[in-house]
Amino acid sequence: MTVVDGQEVSYSSLIEEGRVHSAVFTDESIFEAELQRIFYKFWVYLAHESEVSQPGDYVRKSIGRHSIVVARGTDGEVRAFFNRCRHRGTSICRYEKGNAEFFRCPYHGWTYNNRGPLVGVPFPSRYGDDFDKGKLGLVQVPRLDTYRGFIFVSLADEGQSLIEHLGRSAEYIDKFIQASPTDKIQLSAGVSKSNFHGNWKFVGMDGYHVNFTHKTVQDLQVRKNGNADSRKNNTDRAPNLAVDLANGHCRLDLSLTDTVEIGKATLSLIGEIPNTEAGRQYVAQMVERWGSEAAAYEAIRESRDVHVHVWPNLQLIGSEVRVIRPLASGYTEVFGYPAMLAGVPGEINERRLRGYEWFNTVAAFGTPDDREIFERNQIGLQNDKEPWQVVSRGLGKAEVREDGVVVGNITDEVTQRTQLRQWAKAMR
Amino acid sequence: MSTAAPSLSELKDQVDLFLTHEADLVDRHKYDDWLALWSPDGVYWVPCNEDDYDPARHVSIIYDDYNRLQERCFRLNQEGAHSQDPPSRLCRVVGNLAVSLSGEGHVLVRANMILVDVRSGEKNVYGARLEYALAPDGDSFKIRRKKVVLLDNDEPLGNLTFIL
Repeated sequence: MTVVDGQEVSYSSLIEEGRVHSAVFTDESIFEAELQRIFYKFWVYLAHESEVSQPGDYVRKSIGRHSIVVARGTDGEVRAFFNRCRHRGTSICRYEKGNAEFFRCPYHGWTYNNRGPLVGVPFPSRYGDDFDKGKLGLVQVPRLDTYRGFIFVSLADEGQSLIEHLGRSAEYIDKFIQASPTDKIQLSAGVSKSNFHGNWKFVGMDGYHVNFTHKTVQDLQVRKNGNADSRKNNTDRAPNLAVDLANGHCRLDLSLTDTVEIGKATLSLIGEIPNTEAGRQYVAQMVERWGSEAAAYEAIRESRDVHVHVWPNLQLIGSEVRVIRPLASGYTEVFGYPAMLAGVPGEINERRLRGYEWFNTVAAFGTPDDREIFERNQIGLQNDKEPWQVVSRGLGKAEVREDGVVVGNITDEVTQRTQLRQWAKAMR
Repeated sequence: MSTAAPSLSELKDQVDLFLTHEADLVDRHKYDDWLALWSPDGVYWVPCNEDDYDPARHVSIIYDDYNRLQERCFRLNQEGAHSQDPPSRLCRVVGNLAVSLSGEGHVLVRANMILVDVRSGEKNVYGARLEYALAPDGDSFKIRRKKVVLLDNDEPLGNLTFIL
């Protein structure tokens, strides 16, 4: 329950089929409830195994306001700990990444090994007999599981398994990593960190905005190769799809208008396979992996932009592993990790980086315009004389495929509706 | 440059004039005029996360060759560049110049920059260390390399779609 306009209402009453109340985006008490009921309960993406590949490697990450250390212990196991000394609560991990056998609190020197146990307390004689170091190890995040290198955690002790939660979205994690002939990605190329004054749920999946928000990206595509197809690919007559993968997961299927051939220009954000030694070598590696040139090109086409949102906090778009960090109803941080492909010629990954910088960074040509819109949303939604936002596009026109997946035209708000439905279910 | 090679202090004055001119152009969003300061083999680099690494293996905030620079300026000149509509109000000071000559006849410059950006009710102050390689060109220069090392290149950043 929350209070909206002086009235006690249930969270789920703020979501109707085809419309959503602006309090869902602007109300701070709703945001606090979202942290508890969504981010501190459901499976959320935390880190990638390639970031902690060696024993002793650690990275510091966040879920909402929680700071969490992901460490591969000397025993080879990956664990996630809350970044808090058991003594007085000081954060014990001061660097974002590194390799350490021990974490020592700077305040009084309490020391933990990289598997979590408290192994050192200075001047212990002043504690009583009931002081038990064995009970004062770093607190582990209740549940941790991985799917194909992606590390997820849940702060709830119980609940559905990771694979149940991922459901149909798992297939697109598979497709994302199949861009590598070894089926492995590496988040080794750093992270583009951004923030905006707006609600985390704006970082969703929207196939309707492209021709308007990203008009200049299309201008650049026309300038580069005379190709105005992007404008056609994102209309009500385009074959591309907005796809409901259930459990809040969804995607935009833009691969239907993409074709893959070495040296052939593409509108995909990753860019074409270069007709160079490196490009030919990459195709040969993929042919080796997939059995034929046609199968290799198909695998690349599927991988080039899976454009999936793994609810609530992970997106895989182009080459980006995008992680959403909600911090207030009107403040969000977004961390973008360009995924490098394991086992491919260096030029292939270098091109992925240059493509990433073209669209995704805070100084690039695409994402900053999304960010601008998100901030204008937050300003606009404060004007709640008429508080309902309309998300009815394509309602009643969606198609249920044989496999049960609901699809609509690329510009339909299928994706918004599935996320809001999941939100209402989680907040109940 | 005139026929006689300038002294280092004359060179520093010329660089100062040039960088002041560049600062004025970008503060006022004169993108085409700014592009004209560049050599066609120029590289404009704003590192991300760390100050020095191999851009072939690590993401940058900006890593523009001349073609990408042209795209950047073209985009900013179009309608629909929402993140610069309205444009940022900018004012920067470039100082603490240290000028030296490279073996290839380039003028190497190190400088500090303080930049204030005001937009949409928000004020941001950025500090950066600048590095330039300038090629002498008549009585001025062309930029062959500009590196902007933002102090907060490892922090979450907002809107850096203006020219740094």
